Amino acid sequence: MSASRDIVESGPARIGTRAAPARPRFAWLNSSKGLGLVLIMPALLLVIAFFLAPVILTGVFAFTNMSTATGITGGAYQISPGALRVLTDRYGMGELAERLGQPTYVVDEQGLAALAEMEIDQDIIDGLKRRLGETFSSRRDFERVIRDLPTRPNTRTVKRISDAFSRSLANARFASAGALMSAAEAIDPELTDDEKAALREATYTGWSWTTDNFRRLITSPQTMRILFNTIFFVAATLLIFNTGFAMLLAIATHYIPDRPAGIFRIIWFLPRISPAVIYVLLWKWLAWDTGFLSAFLDNFGIRPRNWMLDSAFNAWVFVILINGFVGASMGMLIFASAIKAIPQSLFHAASVDGAYRWQQIRHIILPHLKWPILFVTCYQTLSLLTSIEQTLLSTDGGPGGATEIWSLAIYHTALNNYAGNLQYGYGAAMALVLVVIGIVLSLLYLRLFNYRALIIKPRIEH
Amino acid sequence: MTGHLKTWPIILALSILSAPLVLMYAYLFIDTVTNSPPGSFIPNEFTLEHWAFLWHTPPGRPSIWRVTFNSLLFAASTSLLVIVVSSMAGYVLSRLNVPARGFFLAGVMVLHAFPAITLIVAIFLVLQMIGLYNTLIGVILVKAAIDMPLGIWLMKGFYDTVPWEIEMAGIQDGASRFTVWRKLVLPQVKPGIFALWLFAFLLGWSEFILPQVLAPSGDVQVLSVYLASLIADDNNFDMALFKSVGLFYIAPVLILFFVFQNYLMNIYGGGSKG
Repeated sequence: MSASRDIVESGPARIGTRAAPARPRFAWLNSSKGLGLVLIMPALLLVIAFFLAPVILTGVFAFTNMSTATGITGGAYQISPGALRVLTDRYGMGELAERLGQPTYVVDEQGLAALAEMEIDQDIIDGLKRRLGETFSSRRDFERVIRDLPTRPNTRTVKRISDAFSRSLANARFASAGALMSAAEAIDPELTDDEKAALREATYTGWSWTTDNFRRLITSPQTMRILFNTIFFVAATLLIFNTGFAMLLAIATHYIPDRPAGIFRIIWFLPRISPAVIYVLLWKWLAWDTGFLSAFLDNFGIRPRNWMLDSAFNAWVFVILINGFVGASMGMLIFASAIKAIPQSLFHAASVDGAYRWQQIRHIILPHLKWPILFVTCYQTLSLLTSIEQTLLSTDGGPGGATEIWSLAIYHTALNNYAGNLQYGYGAAMALVLVVIGIVLSLLYLRLFNYRALIIKPRIEH
Repeated sequence: MTGHLKTWPIILALSILSAPLVLMYAYLFIDTVTNSPPGSFIPNEFTLEHWAFLWHTPPGRPSIWRVTFNSLLFAASTSLLVIVVSSMAGYVLSRLNVPARGFFLAGVMVLHAFPAITLIVAIFLVLQMIGLYNTLIGVILVKAAIDMPLGIWLMKGFYDTVPWEIEMAGIQDGASRFTVWRKLVLPQVKPGIFALWLFAFLLGWSEFILPQVLAPSGDVQVLSVYLASLIADDNNFDMALFKSVGLFYIAPVLILFFVFQNYLMNIYGGGSKG
């Protein structure tokens, strides 16, 4: 593991062999391989923790029914009215459900101890002790037994006594299946295995494995609508702004003196450097019913309104404008530097030939922009497909879901909505679609743009 | 080359196209220090009342200074983490002979293109499971990890421009590979590290969706989430207040951008998302 091993044998690099040997303690730091593995480790750990694991887990969660109701860690077993209904409807065990749901009175040691604590007359306790283990399915039956005791207690005491023996399972919550079963068997010792299994499943409050998410995703009419919205949003923004308008800006600033060109580039860069929250706020100010647009158009007799949300058409205009203004700057920069790289002699020659500006654009500039356009299109397709912030902050998918795009639908399904019932599993299934598209497209781009060509061979090693 | 062509029509057309943006940003400043009569946008009085949020905390909301501190902590930590991890990994990808180096490099490119935001559901659930939900540490780690592929890619580019002779000379003088990196190569890419730090800091400062989802409430709220919740509150609609908080929030970004735009333009052009 000495330095010499890593040094290229050929050429002047051979001098490396004369290097003093490193101190043994740090020998591993002195080899290219050892140092490399150490230096790349933090990045590798972050990638595993925040890219690889989440990709896999998105797939895992997509096959669960996790939601706010089920929680995300394990669940408990609760004999809720809902669970009893499931037991009746899905398993046809209405009788069992009725028994479990009813109040039940069991004469047990626990109840007797409670009586002693309440300082109930000892004779009553002794009297009940003789009936230890008996079960009553209604309060009336049990209270009749208490009244029949030799020292007949008054009505209020009877009620207190019966409360102490109430062992109803309705709404009882158990941490484990075992606790649930022993409680159920105390009430009904003759539970069959089928009934136990049904009970376990019906009362479980945690999440379970399922493929329903995908079935729902495919069959839901909502999916088609969101899909259409997303395709429309990506295509329109990409075409109009990220490439079209960006090209217009790049070419226009190419034909004006450097100073104004620089100013316009900075102006069009503002949307990109501005935090999304404040950038969208400025658009809201423009579109609000007391905002600039309304006040300005009021002069022409057009009634003030919230231009951003008053109709689906206007909402789309704003969503595309807001996202497009941000997107245009990237294309502008890339196209501008591509135009700058075109040899000046080409322009001069064209000028001498008396070429009009649009002829220069058509025959000189556009052919040179082929690859930059492809790059921007590829890159921004993925960005737009997964962008949430601007749309969330501006229309939030409204009005009435008209501008709900796929990424926003994930947010509304799994992360935040007004109803408060977050469906993590279904949201993960929706996210999985984007994750798969993201992986496929980014691998495709890697091939397309041949990033391997950018690798420089290490020169100290071979 | 444009000698026989007029430029003023182009400048005029660009000015008209840019007018909405200029208007929006101009009024971001104007509205925070003036009042205008209803229905008009010509201010009729100067006022500082919209800046009262700086010393007066509205009920039910955290103090603006607390939130600003959180934002600062968030942006500073993520950017620091990004430059440390990237300057290490970038050197490996640029210079060192590790196994599967090409694979790592391709991996960085794929990760850079991959939209990490799609993983937010899984990350949200995992942070809840391991108890890092609604903590700054959790969201800092996530943000740093998401910005890291770009950082590694940029740092690799910076290292690529450092002459090999520097390293050769260092090794010849008996320095270890580690010392060569630390003492000889790192100083060469200082401007690059600074640019990356600045860029990552601005990304962290501007980030909204991650803190909104992973650390939304009270004590760990950052400025973006604070401002968004202020705007979303239908009961207290006050555009001038929103703009004042917004200007307070965006001012460091604008200042840093205008001072260091030469550093930043290159990185933005290199492909940030959006």
